[in-house]
Amino acid sequence: MAEPAATPRLTDRDRSAAERAAIDASCRGPVLYFTTSAVVWLLIGSLLALVASIKLHSPYFLTGSPELTFGRVRMAHLQAVAMGWSSMATVAACLWLMCRLSRAELVYPKLLYLSGTLWNVGVLVAVLGILLGDAQSVEWLDAPRYAPPFFVAGLGIVAAWVMAVFRRRQEPHVYVTQWYILAAVFWFPWLYLTTVFMIFWSPATGVVQPIVNWWFGHNVLGLWFTPVAVGTAYYLIPKIIGRPIHSYYLSIMGFWALALFYSWAGMHHLIGGPIPAWLATASTVGSMMMFIPVIAVAINHHMTMRGHFRRLKYSPALRFTVFGAIAYTWVSFQGSIEALKDFNEVVHFTHYTVAHAHLGVYGFVAMIFFGLYYYMIPRLTGREWVSPLLIRVHFWCAAVGITLYFVSLSIGGWWQGRMLNNPNIPFGRIIDYLLPYLYARSIAGVLLTVGHLAFATLFVMNLFGWGRLRSGPTYFVEPEETTPTPTTERAERELIPVR
Amino acid sequence: MTSVDLAMLATVVGSIVVFGGAAVLALGWAFRNGQFENFQQGSLSIFGPDEPVGEPTDAFPGMTEPDRRSETN
Repeated sequence: MAEPAATPRLTDRDRSAAERAAIDASCRGPVLYFTTSAVVWLLIGSLLALVASIKLHSPYFLTGSPELTFGRVRMAHLQAVAMGWSSMATVAACLWLMCRLSRAELVYPKLLYLSGTLWNVGVLVAVLGILLGDAQSVEWLDAPRYAPPFFVAGLGIVAAWVMAVFRRRQEPHVYVTQWYILAAVFWFPWLYLTTVFMIFWSPATGVVQPIVNWWFGHNVLGLWFTPVAVGTAYYLIPKIIGRPIHSYYLSIMGFWALALFYSWAGMHHLIGGPIPAWLATASTVGSMMMFIPVIAVAINHHMTMRGHFRRLKYSPALRFTVFGAIAYTWVSFQGSIEALKDFNEVVHFTHYTVAHAHLGVYGFVAMIFFGLYYYMIPRLTGREWVSPLLIRVHFWCAAVGITLYFVSLSIGGWWQGRMLNNPNIPFGRIIDYLLPYLYARSIAGVLLTVGHLAFATLFVMNLFGWGRLRSGPTYFVEPEETTPTPTTERAERELIPVR
Repeated sequence: MTSVDLAMLATVVGSIVVFGGAAVLALGWAFRNGQFENFQQGSLSIFGPDEPVGEPTDAFPGMTEPDRRSETN
């Protein structure tokens, strides 16, 4: 007997998959625009980083033009990777995760193309302006004065759209990742606007400027990249292994502890500087208090993964994300220790700090965003990644590269600080001592760049449809060798259209 | 006190009021809305009928996954 025509054959499972696919489809265009832009800026930033790194041990490299002097290239690198790669990947993460977690489709996506274009123009004029000599001598805010309005406008649209998706949510529970994203799109516009206002548009006088400068320099990582990257890990790890967070209570507590303490920490960059002593001390206390959210996150990620570590062998997204989560724990512990005055006296103004910063923005943030790309892009394009080999090349170049970078500059930087504090050691001898470590840094930079080229190749091939089609709307891969899973069976039985 | 000093003071005090107030309001809303009442249920909100607890969703392309059943808890 035939089934009644009025009874749809969609099960709960299919309905849920269709809803998720519709949500992904609604944000596909803007998210792919931001992710593509981010990859372009990653490649440009990598090239600029290599030039800057080589110049540190080979000062006669590319000396023919003022545009390629170390100071300009390094600043341009920072803008390309911080405002270009990291920030645009952060926006993509905010949009996609907020849509999925709210179970709400993105509305008026075309305005987000405007936001992305404004952002790209901002990064472009920042990088070109710096190379042409218009840089500002304010670390992390090196972009010329005409760049911030583009960022402010682009960021405003993104923040409004994230809030709009949240307001339209169908899921009543606010997942911990949503807390992190909402906080980030609230905090960063405030942080950026306030800083630009107090340093450029209505400049504060005296030591207030460096105080505001390092309040921004520290918190651009802590209130923008960190919340979104940690929130991404809180989504990806449980989703990939199919297991809820070990302690959801701990995750919420970690979020509020970060909200309470992170913004205090910036002044530890000015320990020993001409600022009120209480300000640096309060910042050191804030840095110590950061152990609370970091330990909460570390316990949660580790305990969630316990018993599932062998999945790291199979899942590219999981491998990158777990690497990033481990780096988060490490870099945060290290950052708190660096805020102690005795320790800071040695490592301040050395390559040790550079190693620490790169472990944070690359080992932690970039690795988690690579994991996000490997998970998210196939779900948006409907295509699998074309080459497992290139994924492995990317992972190992990134993992070995950042490890070599971190270890070499940490060791070199520590002894650099010890020698700088000893007045009997001539400065030239310290420079000579550092050369092997600086060569190691360049080798690490080459490895990272090779990884980025592999990643960009995979990404472009996926965008242009070179990967094989996904057999269902949401699953990652259905290996041909294994027994068909419910998704493939369902796709065959019910002719679910292949995207 | 110059106009620049006043602008600075307004910025700092305004930031403290707006953002401290926003955090308090967000916490209050979360409590009233029951967001902190059932943590176990909250942790399950990312799963659904199509991607349920116990079912991994990711692997290397082209690579055979280990038996999914042995991975579940």
